[in-house]
Parts: sequence; C-alpha cells; structure tokens
Amino acid sequence: MHDQPVPLIALVDVTRRFPGVLALDGVSLELAAGEVHALVGENGAGKSTLINIVCGLLAPDSGKLLLSGKPVAWSSPVDARHDGIAAVHQEAELFATLSVAENMAWEQGLPVAAGGWIRWSQVFAAAEQAVNLLGDPIDVRQHAARLSVAQRHMTQIAAAVQQRARVLVLDEPTSALTAGETAWLFRQIRRLQSAGVGILYVSHRQEEIFELADRITVLRDGRMVWSGPAKTIDRDGLIAQMVGRGGTTSARTAPLRQPQHGLLRLQIDRLSAADGRFTDISLGVRAGEIVGIYGLIGSGRSELAQTIFGLRTAAGGSVRIDGRPVAIASPAQAVAADLAYLPEDRLHQGIFRGLSVRANMVVSALGRMQRGWLTSSARERQATAAELSKLGIKCRDAEQPIGELSGGNQQKVVLGRWLLTRPAVLILDEPTRGVDVGAKAEIHRILRTLANEGTAIVLVSSDLPEVMENSDRVVVFRAGRVAGTFDPAHSTAEQVAAASLPDEALRSGAPVGSPRRTRAVRPWRSEVALAAAVCALIGLLIGTTDSFLTADNLWGLLATTALWTILSLGAAVIILAGAIDISLGSLLALSAGVGGLVLKLPYSPWLTIPAGIAAALATGAAGGFFNAAVSLWGRVHPIVVTLGAMTIYRGLLIALTGGAAITGLPGPFVRWSTGRYWGVNASALLGAVAAIGVYLWLAHFRGGRCVVAYGASPTAARLVGISHARAWLSAFAVGGVLAALAGVLELSQTGSLQSTTGRGYELQAIAAAVIGGVSISGGRGSVGGVCLGALLISLIHNTLVLWQVSANYETLVAGAMLLIAVLADLAWRRFER
Amino acid sequence: MTLSTTFARGRPYLVPALLLALAVGLVASQTTRPLALLDMWRPWGEVGTLAVVMTAIMLTGGIDLSVGSMIALASVTLGVVWQAGWSMPWAAAAAIGVGAAAGAINGTLVTIGIAPLVATLATLAFYAGLAMALAQGQRVAGLPADFASLGQGSWLGVPNQLLIFALVWFMGWIVVHHTRFGRYVFALGDNALAAQFAAVPVRAVQWWLYTASGTLAALVAVIYCARSGAVVPNAGAGIELQVIACVVLGGTRVTGGRGGLGRTLLGVAILSLLDIGLQFISGEIRVPWTGFAWQFSANSRLLLIGLLVIGVAVWNERAAAARLRPTAAGGQIR
Repeated sequence: MHDQPVPLIALVDVTRRFPGVLALDGVSLELAAGEVHALVGENGAGKSTLINIVCGLLAPDSGKLLLSGKPVAWSSPVDARHDGIAAVHQEAELFATLSVAENMAWEQGLPVAAGGWIRWSQVFAAAEQAVNLLGDPIDVRQHAARLSVAQRHMTQIAAAVQQRARVLVLDEPTSALTAGETAWLFRQIRRLQSAGVGILYVSHRQEEIFELADRITVLRDGRMVWSGPAKTIDRDGLIAQMVGRGGTTSARTAPLRQPQHGLLRLQIDRLSAADGRFTDISLGVRAGEIVGIYGLIGSGRSELAQTIFGLRTAAGGSVRIDGRPVAIASPAQAVAADLAYLPEDRLHQGIFRGLSVRANMVVSALGRMQRGWLTSSARERQATAAELSKLGIKCRDAEQPIGELSGGNQQKVVLGRWLLTRPAVLILDEPTRGVDVGAKAEIHRILRTLANEGTAIVLVSSDLPEVMENSDRVVVFRAGRVAGTFDPAHSTAEQVAAASLPDEALRSGAPVGSPRRTRAVRPWRSEVALAAAVCALIGLLIGTTDSFLTADNLWGLLATTALWTILSLGAAVIILAGAIDISLGSLLALSAGVGGLVLKLPYSPWLTIPAGIAAALATGAAGGFFNAAVSLWGRVHPIVVTLGAMTIYRGLLIALTGGAAITGLPGPFVRWSTGRYWGVNASALLGAVAAIGVYLWLAHFRGGRCVVAYGASPTAARLVGISHARAWLSAFAVGGVLAALAGVLELSQTGSLQSTTGRGYELQAIAAAVIGGVSISGGRGSVGGVCLGALLISLIHNTLVLWQVSANYETLVAGAMLLIAVLADLAWRRFER
Repeated sequence: MTLSTTFARGRPYLVPALLLALAVGLVASQTTRPLALLDMWRPWGEVGTLAVVMTAIMLTGGIDLSVGSMIALASVTLGVVWQAGWSMPWAAAAAIGVGAAAGAINGTLVTIGIAPLVATLATLAFYAGLAMALAQGQRVAGLPADFASLGQGSWLGVPNQLLIFALVWFMGWIVVHHTRFGRYVFALGDNALAAQFAAVPVRAVQWWLYTASGTLAALVAVIYCARSGAVVPNAGAGIELQVIACVVLGGTRVTGGRGGLGRTLLGVAILSLLDIGLQFISGEIRVPWTGFAWQFSANSRLLLIGLLVIGVAVWNERAAAARLRPTAAGGQIR
C-alpha cells in the first residue's frame, strides 16, 4: 500500500491541542484518489477536529498537511476550497433568508468580477445545473428556509459534487436522509470515486461504512488506533477498536425481555397534530414495556412525542396516563402528569452548557427538593449524587459545568433529570444519537432496568438496530400515520424498514422528501402593504388640509424624507448585519458638530465646505468603526456598546462645543441643500444617490453581500469564510457614514446645531427600517422598503405639523410607530414560518 | 485548591475590586465626614432598586431599556390623578398600577416572541411619548409636604431610598438565589430552548420579571417625585444606562446565565461612589507639563461613566470567554 502514487491529501503526525485537551495526538492519515476512506470513532475521539483541519477550519498545532505531496497551510475554509477540498458538514448551516442559488454560490466562493461586482447570472446558472443532478425540482430562487432538512443536505451535496472537487469530506451525510436519498447519495459517491475524487467519510452507521469504504481509520482519544483496508476488519472488530475494550458487543445483543406486562400506563387515542404532522394516532404502552417508534425523519414520530409533552398543539384525540385523562398544554403540565421526554437534540434542547451538572440534573424536579418556599442545596446534592452513581456518570464533581463532559455523560445527566421526576411514562427521542458505543450500551441497559421497575417507555429512534434490539413492540410511522406494528422477536429489520418507506420510494429509489410546503414566496408583500399605508395617509392629508399639496410643503416633505432615508438606511445596514446601533442619533450630532466647527474656520468657504463635509463623514465612519471594534474585540453585544457610546458621543459633542449651539455657517453651505439642481431639490438628490449607492453595495457587491449573509446566519458565514469582523466593521462604518451624511444634511437644512440635535433619531430610524421590512434579527430587508418606511415617518411628522398637533404628541406617535413596526415584523415572521 | 485556581476564581472580581478601591479612595480624599454624604446616595438608592430586577432580567439574557420611560409614565400618572383631586396614597397606588401594567405589556411583548431588546426599545419610545402627551409637556409642582418626606426623609439616619434599596435587594437575592424561580432564571439565561424542554415555565418567568421591572420603576417614580417635590414629564430619562451600568460593572453577563445580585451590589457601590466622588471635582483639571486643561462638568461625568461601562463589559466578557473556551475536542468546535 505504501508504494501507491502520491496520496491526494496526507496528514503527517498532526497534533492539535485545546485548553486542557489533546484533541489530536500525532495522527497520520492518507487519502488516495478514487478512494472512500471512512473515519470512525466514538464522540470526542477527534474526528471533527481532524476533518476541520482537512477543510481548513482549524490549523494543526504541529505536523504537516500535504496536498498531492506539497505542504499547505490554509488559514480558512476558503483557501481549502480553492485547493479543491469540498465539505458537507453534519449540521447543514444555511443562509435561511438568502436564495438557494446564493447559498450554493457562497459554498463555492461567490463569482465576482473586478471590484467585487457579483456575477448573478453565473450564480443562478450554476445552481440550476447542480439541482438538475438531484432529479428533484427545486426552485433555486426561493429562500433556503423553505427547503426541508433533507433537501438542504441534498443541495449541499449536489453543490459539492458539481464543484469538481478533488477531495470531498462528508460528515454524517445520511443522518437526515431517507433511504431513497441515501441510495442517491451512494450512487453519487461511486460516480465521484470512479472519477478519481478522494472521499473522506465520517459516519456512526456501521452498515454504511462497510458498504462504501475502501479503507477505515479508527480514532480513539485523539490517537489513531487502527487503519487498514475495510476488508480486513469486521463489525465486532471495529467496535472493539473504537471502544478499546472487549466485551461491549454483548451489550448490543438482545436484552432481557420481561414477558409479563402490567397495567396500561400511557394510552393515546386518535391523536392528531394541529399542523397536520401526524393524524389519528392510537397507541398504548403498559408498565414494564418498551415500545419502539421507528420512522423516517419527518414521519411525525418526534412531533407525536412533543405533542404529548405539551410542546406542540394537538387537534383532536385524547391522552390518558394511568387511566386518567390528561389535557397537556405545556411541558410543566406534562411533568405534573408524570410524563417525561428526553429531547432528540441534546446540545440545543437538552443541556444548559454553562451550568453545573447538579443544576442540569435537578431543574425539572425542583419542586420535590424544596424546603418550604426555598430551594435546598443539600437535598439537590443528595439527589444528584444518587443519580450520578446509579447512571455511572463520569464527572469531576456535581459542580462541574456540564459542557466539560463527554456527549454520553451529558446525555446520561439529561436522562437523570427525567428520572428524578419519577415518571410513569418516559419518552426518549433518539437517546443515543451522537453517543459513543460504550455509553449507548449503558443507556440501553438503564432503559431495560427502568422498564422492569414498572415505567412505561417509548423509544423513538431512527437507528433500526437500536429499535429492534431494545423494544418489546415496534410501531412504524409513515407520513404521519401508523404504518404497522411489529414484534421484533418475530420479524426482521427488513420488514420494519420496508413498512417505513413510502411505496414509490421502494420502487424507483427516487429521493423522498419530508412533507414540503409549496406556498409561493411573495417578497413584495410588506412593501405593498407599506405603500398602501403611505397612499392612505397622503389621501387623508389631501382631504383634511389645504396646505399639503402646496409646493413649499411638498418640497419640504421631500427634504425631510431624504434625511430620514439616509439615516434609516444607516440603521438598516447595521440591522441587516445582525447588530443594532442606538448611538446613531448622537453620532449624527457629533459628526455634524465636527463638520460645523470646521465649516466655521476663518478660511474661504470653498476650502471649509469640502473639508467640513469630509471631517463629518470621517467622524461618522470612525464612530461606527469604534462601536463595531469594541463590540467585536470585547465580545460585548452592540446594544451595550452603543448604549455607552451614545453618551460618549453626546458628551464629546458638548465638550467640543462647550454646550453652545453652532450657528452662522457659511452661506453657500446653508443655501446648498435648499437649492435645486435639474429642477429637483438638492436634499432629495442626495437621498436618492445614497439609496442607490446602498442598494448597489448590498445587492451587487461582495462587500455588501457579506454583510447581508453574515446577518442571515453567522454560523454559515463562518463556514464559507465570511469574516465576522469585516462584516460588522463595514456595516457599522457605512452606518456611521450615513448618519454623518444625514447630520450634514440636517446642518445645512436648519443652518444650526444644538447640543440636543438628533436625540431620539435612532429610534425613529430603526422604526423606519423595521417598518420597511428589515428583519430585526438580520439578513432580510430591502432598500426600497426602507425608503418607504422613511417616507412614512416623514409623512407622519408632516401630518402633525399640518394638523397643528402639539409637539407633545410627537414622541408618542414615533413610539407607537416603532411598536407597530415591531409587532408587524413579528407577524411577518410568523407568517413566513 | 491551588493558588492559580484561587486566582482564576477571583479574577472576575479583580476589576470591580480595584474600581471599588479607587472609588472609596476618591470619596475619602474629598471629604472628612463620609456619613454626611449619605444624602447624596438618594438617587443611587433609586438606581440600585431598579438594578435588582434588571439583574434578574439580564440573567435570563433579556434587557429592559424602558425603565426610564416607565418612571416618566408613572410620575405623570401620579401628577395627573393628584391634580384631578385624588389623595396622595391613591395617586401613588395609581402610579404603581400603571407601572405594573406597562411592565406587563413589556412582558407580554417578550413572551409572544419579540426580542426583549427590541420590545423594550419600542416601549421606551412609546411610554415616553405617552408620558409627554398625558402631561401636555407640563410639570406639576407643589406636591404636599408630608408626601415629600417619603423621598426626603430618613430612618435612623439612613435615607429612605437606601432602606428601600436594601429591602428590595434582599428580597431579590432570596428570589434569584434561593427559590425555584431563581433557578429557572439561570436555566433560561443559559439555554432558553432547553429550558422549555425541561418544563421550565419560560413565559411565566419572563412575564413576571418584566412586570416586576415596571412595578419597581413605578415605585421608584413615586419616591423620585417625593424627593423632587414635583412631577416632570421626562423624569427618569436615560436612567436605564446607569441601571445597566451597575449590573454590568458588577460582572453579570449581558448574554445571561452568569452573574448574580451580590455582584450587582458591588456594581452599585462602585458606580455611586465614583459618581459622588467625581461630583467634588469641578473646574479645570490640568494635565501636567502639557498645558492641556479639561473643564470637568456633569457632562464629563456622563462621558466617563459611558466609557467605564464599555470598558468593564469588555473586560468581563473577555474574562468569561477565556474561561469558557472549549475544553473538549470534537463536537464543540464545529
């Protein structure tokens, strides 16, 4: 084997250390062209670290990474991709609010012309081509949020396939796929293999490994413990290598079954989900019984569990526990009814990473450990200690943060949490997902013990061997209905699997997605509603006042709109990046103040005007830059930074001006904004130029697109090499410049600057942006919408003036607007979901 | 426990302790009779009272930016109903009721899924506008003298504000650190989704916290009106910065899950001492040898506090991040 040609990629003696842990310890690995190399190991063995090094997310501390024999040092996934490494990560991270095509394009590095201009036609053409590979009609222009989990994985894989990579890294690619989709994936892998692509394949699923792999490498505790051709090892041998001790395989054989079952503890009768994920489910579980629920992802099995537990709403049917009918509307009620649910996603739904093992363990059973109204640490410690020893949890002590434990031990703590509530019915959703083999066997043993003690257990899993070996009865879900019930002792895994598959999938092997929604996207909806509101207000103004349609009023309205447009765009750019800046009003005033002081210098206006404007814009940029830099470097949420910066900028302004107003600005500067050019008000022209500039930057230049993409998903952004620092620094700097521009405009329009100028402007600008359809959580919004939002704000100010409403109502109206905008944003997000 | 772990555990307190020493030194250098300064603590008793509930809110990963506006709204309510002929106790009760309602609205907005930051930013503007509109921009002066004694009086030489702060702080400490509700607060701040899956009544916890925030803001508003003897429609404007500053200075994390009321007590002590100490400094501060002179004013104090908040928040978050760096390989560095 060592005489083979130069391997595509080789790791030589690679070591990577994290504080307190040696993640990889002198690991060497080679991947040849046309080879499928499976990487296996328990959780925490170093697989993720290794593939992160291979795809450029991490750099090794020592050792070499050779690409076709030449050493490489990548600083980001982008470098690796450039050298032909494509990766599909386990959790498909997507930019939910960006189109499918753009998502695929970011994976491969956005095609840009000189100056960062994005070639959109190329983006869409490439995406169409990749999707054609799938044989599943996916509209590449729709938001990625509308794809099902399987579709997300499939598009990522298709993009990677199409990329003509030399090395493809697949990290648990089948965890969300159906059998049909898995078959498609395997065909693609074989095709790539014959084309000479090297494939690094990480999976927990033994069957897949033995079906696909040419070579297997086993990692344990950061070291390579075995490596060789797949033919030379069998399943038991592989497990022994992974676990590093003999005898664990016996735990996977059939457990002790308790034939005599007691009373009916859980009884579900014709239960349906409100959202149609499952219909008409009836199921009974007796004391001492373990009922396995098997089905594909999206077949409704997790949804059923979560409905019983009060996390989702039921549409009809009833649930009885120990014969009592229970109406469960919340998890708290479920726990009160002696029900427990171990969630499928440990990291996000299970553990409190920063809290201690004890706090994690007792959180659901605090009521049992109180002393009167107060909590009792002694009782909590006692209960925790009992569970720790009963479940064999390895940790330093009960006060150790749970985040420091291995996956298996974390899962056992979550299991212990539910055992402390002494449930009559225990529902476990994928209890051994991402758990190493040793812990898996122990969890299975614990389940059987619990059942023998009289608990009714529901085991939801997509791991077929697990369901077959541990259940007394297997219920198969298919498309939200019960497709059959099997006795695992008298049926085969093939029968059960066949029942879970939709008929067409069996015949054609075509990809089968989970139920998908086909509702059309209407991206213009919010703008249309807003435009209607603007028109209605204008109509009202024309009807109730004589002075609205006068030229003076309209030009004035246009000038105000320009000001608000510029400032709101500044707020919007920062919100798009997933941040917020409440110092914009102060920054506007400070920039205008700096500009005003320069303008008043005793030189020719032809010198001071450009210098003053430049100084103002530079101040704005610097202020924005400062906000972003402190927030990034200090890892402090922008709201805190900009809350402090708000007083700092205001304070600097007062320190600069001594608290006095700035007046007596040069005539040409003041006259400029009210003058007309080509028949149009100069303020309006400036506003239009700013809006077009921001639009072009956000939609057609890589720099602006990075800002939007980062706001859409910071995690996905990191994977495709978008720098957090650059996204925020540019967004805040552009926001600051726009605030400064608005300040200059205000200075020119009013001819003076008070120390209170701009106070509260940031709230109205944020309101205009959010009303204009910018999602407060980042990543979605349009320049046109923001302009409409700014127009609405200006119209409201105009209304107050024309109706001669007292200034005391101005804040109220602005506040009400912001509140309505926020509520509308919420309604919009609910609608999208 | 080795020396290095002792140091590591104490590290979060290092900067607060240094700042506290500095603040005590500053005050001590400016006066020989510190007890005579107790009166200057009255506003800080009010800020501290608000900081108690803000700590709990920030522990859940939330924030309440609208406290200042709720003070304004409650103050105006008090003034308006008093002018309409209500007796002072009833006017105060009305103010507190309005504050609780305002807080409940915040709580409702948060529980229906609006980010606390955004929800309370919106109500910050809305309540301030409501106060201004209700009061027609007018101040109400001439509140009765026996009411004023509530905000200007003392018991055993301790100003009422500090007594109320002590009482509220103690109650908050019990609730946050020694009840089930408090455990839920920490769980929610660490992982809101997991809290929901662990049967923590997430929405109820949030709703009660924001409602409590509104109620306490109204209580502070009543005391504030009593202290100043008048109702001002923009009372409390900007106080949220000082309140958040106290919480952050103490070392409670802005993202939730870590911190506590002991730390906030420290934060209130530091900020109040610094502020009071700085009040003695007036006039020019000359920087030696450079000839640069700085006119120290109330504005400079605000500027310094703004810088301090950012600085300490940065220090705390960086220290916390250093502690929380992934210690196990694999799954955590995806």
